[in-house]
Amino acid sequence: MTESDPYVDWIAREAKRAVAVDPMAVERVMARVRQEPLPVRRSARWRWLVAPRALPLSPLVGAALAAGLIGIGVFFGHNIDRGGRNRTGGPEAFADNSPRSPSSDSVRVIKFVLVAPHAATVAVVGDFNNWDAQATPMTRTPTGGTWSVALKLPAGRHVYAFVVNGANGTSQWVADPTAPLAPEDGLGAPNSVVLVGGSAS
Amino acid sequence: MSDDAADVQRVLSGDVDAYAKLVDRYYDRCARFAIRMLGNRDDAEDALQSTFLRAYRALGRYQERDRFSAWLYRILVNQCRSIAARRSHRERVFVREEALLLNAPDKRPAWSGEDEEFVQRVLNELDPLLREAFLLKYIEELSYEEMAALTGAGVSALKMRVKRACDKLRDRWERIRDD
Repeated sequence: MTESDPYVDWIAREAKRAVAVDPMAVERVMARVRQEPLPVRRSARWRWLVAPRALPLSPLVGAALAAGLIGIGVFFGHNIDRGGRNRTGGPEAFADNSPRSPSSDSVRVIKFVLVAPHAATVAVVGDFNNWDAQATPMTRTPTGGTWSVALKLPAGRHVYAFVVNGANGTSQWVADPTAPLAPEDGLGAPNSVVLVGGSAS
Repeated sequence: MSDDAADVQRVLSGDVDAYAKLVDRYYDRCARFAIRMLGNRDDAEDALQSTFLRAYRALGRYQERDRFSAWLYRILVNQCRSIAARRSHRERVFVREEALLLNAPDKRPAWSGEDEEFVQRVLNELDPLLREAFLLKYIEELSYEEMAALTGAGVSALKMRVKRACDKLRDRWERIRDD
């Protein structure tokens, strides 16, 4: 514990006591689970594709690859500028669900963009990454306070939000102000919705 | 291979009942966090149901190198946040500037009920961000690095939240003592 304080320690001790749980609760979970399709482990091919590995490169190939990566960055930056978003106000965001590259019918590249000039770091969280604020950090454009990340998402409805971390240590979850909010029976009002393969509703 | 990893493997091989072992193993601990965090059993039950359902759906993406409990807790913390946010949106008290929340005056009367009810009451009076940090640190006894991985917040922010939570609890105690 970080501090020793008799009252805080007492609260912690009391709060640590086990809570009474409805004995049918686990069965209720399992009843819903049994209605779900069986989860499928990522294929070995997919895991091979995403697994980190050392790749020996000659200096010439490395330089060529670096040039290619810079080109990608410029491409994204250009698209963000073209959106004409407000760069001086509070967080402003849009989910651009137009495909950016040739893709299969079931997977599209979605670019998430947030204008947050005073943020230290920004991430997008959603059902596609288990709401993991570490999983999908967004990248700040060199020209200003715009953050973006492009993700391949399967077709369908996705709920998401942005996690904006300030330089002073604050952290806020914010919905996308330009996208529809998730309905009350979804993940909560502060989240937003994007429909991949169609327009958000 | 740990018991958790073996059970995950069995589920992915088609044995859905193996998931019941995982749920049973973690339900009580998750329930304690959810109830302490959300302050009532109905919301906690919602959070727990959606946590275990989402974990099941995402089981194919679970990596054995990660601790299952940490992976599950990350989902739980986020589900509790979502439910608290949904509820707080109705109550107009969620997602404000943290500084405002930290300095908000407490106008609620002192409480002198039974211990558990009293503890839940004072926890409920903490801002959700402070309550979450306090519970993860003091009840779940996580390190700040583990908390950072779960919440997405920085270590310094989490230390600040825990300190502010303790300060508020201490203030609360002193007010009760003085009444």
